[in-house]
Amino acid sequence: MKKKYIVFGAVAFSSICGFGQQPVNYVKKKIAKSTIEIVYSQYIQNGDHSAITGGIGTEKLLVYEPEIIINKQVDSLNAYSVDVGIDVITSASLDNIDFVMSSASRVSKRGYLRLGYERTVKQNRNLSFGGSGYFSIESAYTSLGASLSAEYTSPDKSKAFSAELESYFDDLRWGRLNGERPLRLVYPVELRYREWYDEYKRRSFNLNLSYQQTINEKMVIAFFPGASYQFGLLATPYHRVYFKDSSERVENVPDKRFKIPLGVQLNSFIGRRSVLRVYYRFYKDDFGIIAHTLNTEFAMKLTPGWTLTPLLHLYTQTAASFFKPYEQHDPSQQFYTSDYDLSAFNSYEAGIESRFAGIGKGEKGFFCNVITLRYSYYKRSEGLHAHLITLLMDFMNQKRK
Amino acid sequence: MLQPKKQPVVYILCIAAIILHASCKTVKPYQRAYLNDDAMQAGKRPADKLSSAVHTYREGASGGGSGKTSGGCGCN
Repeated sequence: MKKKYIVFGAVAFSSICGFGQQPVNYVKKKIAKSTIEIVYSQYIQNGDHSAITGGIGTEKLLVYEPEIIINKQVDSLNAYSVDVGIDVITSASLDNIDFVMSSASRVSKRGYLRLGYERTVKQNRNLSFGGSGYFSIESAYTSLGASLSAEYTSPDKSKAFSAELESYFDDLRWGRLNGERPLRLVYPVELRYREWYDEYKRRSFNLNLSYQQTINEKMVIAFFPGASYQFGLLATPYHRVYFKDSSERVENVPDKRFKIPLGVQLNSFIGRRSVLRVYYRFYKDDFGIIAHTLNTEFAMKLTPGWTLTPLLHLYTQTAASFFKPYEQHDPSQQFYTSDYDLSAFNSYEAGIESRFAGIGKGEKGFFCNVITLRYSYYKRSEGLHAHLITLLMDFMNQKRK
Repeated sequence: MLQPKKQPVVYILCIAAIILHASCKTVKPYQRAYLNDDAMQAGKRPADKLSSAVHTYREGASGGGSGKTSGGCGCN
């Protein structure tokens, strides 16, 4: 009996104490996160099938590409991004448009800016919408772009859908960067006796969809169907074409292009320290190109912060129906190009990426979170080859408001 | 325009998708350590950007979750 009273008394006492307790006031703290990615890339290319000289001649090209990407997570709902960069291009083939053939390689520049905004829906945190605006300018090209996107992740995070609609409005007239007026299409110097095109605009509309599905705790698959429609001036005005009868004209390709890509990606942990990423894409367009792409990456986590990734890209495509090499075109053809980007070829890219993560973690203010160094070698079966180098430094700042 | 000729690769992808989807299992939040790893994220990564641009300019194919599809000349 005595025991019963003791237990009852203890429960009653604890209940009274419980009622007397004040509810714990958790202060909801907002976390603002900013990342700054500084990217420096270098592209060194060589080949012997320049489209500017009709499918013969040097394709020597050197591009330096510094870029800064700023992502600002203002609060749990709103995020902004700014992407700005300049490409400095040294091209041997550009000399052959309107300058002395033997002059030093011509240097041109391209600047671009992309502003993005993304908002998560307050009532449904699994749904977000975004939009971006884009502007780029180079000597023979100006591009304005805009995109709208939506993304939904299922509550258990096993599925994710996204849709993006992009549009680009391009102007191929020469002269904006170097101040030459009036703006005009530039043809090879010996072909300026007539205007070859009435049109100088190119418009592109792209629909990019994705569906991602978790298969198990170590495997995820994603599908990327898409569609793209371009119309306007799709030819490059300073690409030469030489015909069987040794006559010469400016490249002429259809003024519409419809593309269908379908990509699928499978990412899988192999054991506890390696990730195999496999990507395959089927592509078809109405220029007559059918292409298959296979990318594989094998990320090996050698230490908790260091990941080494060998990578391989394999690609094959059929030729556009109107492609022919130098002096192979029939003058009676409606469309013609000797641009080897539209020829039948196989290509590969092999390289390695080294990623160091968590370098400055724990430091106050901005700290360098990730450094990635990547090198790869690219080769096409028709002879074009290139070296690609990228250095990426990812800085992060996270603070409670 | 494109001919409505069916490609066998599309059928293969669809069948693979159905098989994989049928074998999916529910992953609990505490089991997502591997899935949340940076290397497991699908789609483009910042370090891939140069490669993606080169593939877009130097190869006829573009899009499908890989690289940019417009907005630059790449005509050198």
